[in-house]
Amino acid sequence: MDQTAERLLGSANRLSRDPETEIDWDAPVGDGYGMSPEWSTLYGTPYWDELTEAQQRELTRHEAASVATTGIWFELILQQLILRDVYDKPARSAEFQWALTEIADECRHSIMFARATERLVEPAYRPPFVTRELGRMFKALASGESAYAAILVAEEVLDVMQRDWMRDRRVEPMVRTVNHIHVVEESRHMVFAREETRERLAGAGRARRWVSALVIAIAADMIVSSMVGRQVYVNLGLDADRAVREARRNEHHRSLLRTSCANLMDFLGSVGLLTPAAARVYRRTGLL
Amino acid sequence: MTFVISGECCSDASCVAVCPMNSIHPAPGEPGFGAGASLFIDPRTCIDCGACADICPVDAAQPADRAAPEDVERNAAYFAEREALEATDLDSWEPPAYQVWGRGPQRVLVVGAGPAGMYATRELLLRTTARITVVDRSEQLGGLVRFGVAPDHPCTKQIIGTFERIVRHPRVRWLPGTEAAALVQEYDAVIHAVGARRSRRLGIPGEEAACTAEDFVAWCNGRPGAALPVELVGPRAVVVGNGNVALDLARILLSDQLDTADVSQQVRRTLAASGIKQVVLLGRRGPGEAAYTESALQELLAIAGDRVELRYHARPTGWTPEGLTLDTGETIAAGNLFTAIGFEGQPVDGLPFDAARGIVPNVRGAVVDRPGHYVAGWIKRGARGGIGVNKACAQETVQTLVSASRGAASQGS
Ligand SMILES: Cc1cc2nc3c(=O)[nH]c(=O)nc-3n(C[C@H](O)[C@H](O)[C@H](O)COP(=O)(O)OP(=O)(O)OC[C@H]3O[C@@H](n4cnc5c(N)ncnc54)[C@H](O)[C@@H]3O)c2cc1C
Ligand code: SF4
Ligand code: SF4
Repeated sequence: MDQTAERLLGSANRLSRDPETEIDWDAPVGDGYGMSPEWSTLYGTPYWDELTEAQQRELTRHEAASVATTGIWFELILQQLILRDVYDKPARSAEFQWALTEIADECRHSIMFARATERLVEPAYRPPFVTRELGRMFKALASGESAYAAILVAEEVLDVMQRDWMRDRRVEPMVRTVNHIHVVEESRHMVFAREETRERLAGAGRARRWVSALVIAIAADMIVSSMVGRQVYVNLGLDADRAVREARRNEHHRSLLRTSCANLMDFLGSVGLLTPAAARVYRRTGLL
Repeated sequence: MTFVISGECCSDASCVAVCPMNSIHPAPGEPGFGAGASLFIDPRTCIDCGACADICPVDAAQPADRAAPEDVERNAAYFAEREALEATDLDSWEPPAYQVWGRGPQRVLVVGAGPAGMYATRELLLRTTARITVVDRSEQLGGLVRFGVAPDHPCTKQIIGTFERIVRHPRVRWLPGTEAAALVQEYDAVIHAVGARRSRRLGIPGEEAACTAEDFVAWCNGRPGAALPVELVGPRAVVVGNGNVALDLARILLSDQLDTADVSQQVRRTLAASGIKQVVLLGRRGPGEAAYTESALQELLAIAGDRVELRYHARPTGWTPEGLTLDTGETIAAGNLFTAIGFEGQPVDGLPFDAARGIVPNVRGAVVDRPGHYVAGWIKRGARGGIGVNKACAQETVQTLVSASRGAASQGS
């Protein structure tokens, strides 16, 4: 573990990015898409085709803001999980120092997302109340592989979307830069989360694996399903009932999610966290 | 320090998709992808994050301080003449390409559980809601990865673990030991991924007494029912062929370190008892045109040293127990002749066949004039390219299959 942590620290030395100076926060924001339109929850549905191009573009900006807000929410959880995990580890160890580096990264990312959403759209988004309360419980209780694999799930889902958006010329340049900054630093975090998950699972019995697998799957379900909520459609003046209905059945979106999470599922499978019960949850969420 | 990619890379490009710095090339779609066996990491832009190593199914991506110096050099050399891509200039990246959902077929049959069949199955799982039946005439999945890839390359064989997880997916039904013929009627679409296993022939007198690469690799990988068709006679053997398979063969014949490889006692004993101490590797053309990769050659030379002789511009004309005669009249005295000059496909029941190229004629994977039938892998492209190249190949086929039932794919921007 310390070897991985040392390498990651070295990597952070090679390239850490500072959104504070890298992004000109005073520059005017254009009217580009907030995300690749293909990633919109409505893309591919009849409703999408009824929207004007301007509405579609606006929808993607709100959705991107909502997703970023979920990112912030999860990054808060994550910071606490890591802080709790390293609480009594020796401060000189690479693992400890890397953990704090990661918290610092997350902290900067949350500020960056907050500022970006503020510039992108008017209304503020927040994950639903129940999700927030469950998250509160999770960040107080989760430990070991459940904590790290849940971190991995959240980061990976976000990461794959952002990799697409940052390369997409249609997306607003500020959003693209924000996404790349996140992608670069997140790649190290995911390496760390995988390593921790593997390590915590070594020697775990079947019962514990079963429980952890299920907890992680449920956490994944909550993260994914809270990314874009009803409020987005309401704020845009859409028929929210219809939008929610069509979004939920949107096989195009489910297929994108599945594709994006293929590496993640492969990892979970390889460490024995894709138990039948967990697989059922992932299938319902649309990740498997 | 950076990361580097070793010769065990099967170029499935998993790492390309996770590298945050666009440091890994040639990426699918770039010139050179699928031509060599390996991808390379640009040391000038790699930030040492380790994401590539984490995702690599065969442990080919490694930190430079743990990799062989040749690998470090090979990676750097690949980029020597190229400009470094500035990853923060996001327009230097390929824009994303999206495949738009279409209902697609609901019941798909995949014939052959080699890399092409497995990657096609994976892609179908991701892109459709179809239920997929996978059959293979063999009892085990993996195709040539299991029964072709040299046994002293255990890392490469690790990809089988990934394949095994694919067939455990709830939407997949896996029927080992099954021939496809009887099943085809029940499906909306069939993907034939049956590979190309038959060895090409030299066409010289006496060749019947030689051992083909097909037979040799099947035997040393323990394919059920496979036997070595010849008796091994030292001290010298001739291997005709200039691809990686020929190099694999020479390496195994000369290796003293098979103990650590996953080979049966019997294979090990037969090889040790053979008395083969020397291998002549014959290429029809010059070293510049040789089909092997640099890393495979380095590996062979490291193991065999001066016990292997590389000869180019040599044309065999006949094989006798005395040895191999060349068109110059010279005879290379040897006890065994191995032929490794490539593989070709065999006709598939009910499908057209292009005998000259040894493939089923197809357009981006759709079999010509047979709606509902698709091909992927070696039977589609011919016997070229490593394991991972079949991934892009299978993706193309599935894309063709899915878009047959709806509009075209959407390009990112
Ligand atoms: C000797 C050798 C060594 C190699 N080493 C490497 C290496 O080190 N690294 C690398 O990247 N690549 C290597 N390759 C290349 C790699 O193996 C191929 O790219 C790959 O296997 C081709 O995949 P495929 O799925 O098209 O065919 P195959 O792997 O041949 O799979 C075809 C499958 O179809 C099944 N099948 C055939 N007919 C039927 C039927 N009628 N019904 C049911 N099932 C059927 C077969 O049993 C088989 O399982 C090597 C190839 C060879 C020959
Ligand atoms: S095997 Fe695949 S993931 Fe590994 S280095 Fe090669 S291309 Fe990258
Ligand atoms: S270590 Fe990171 S930056 Fe370097 S090649 Fe691998 S994924 Fe890319």
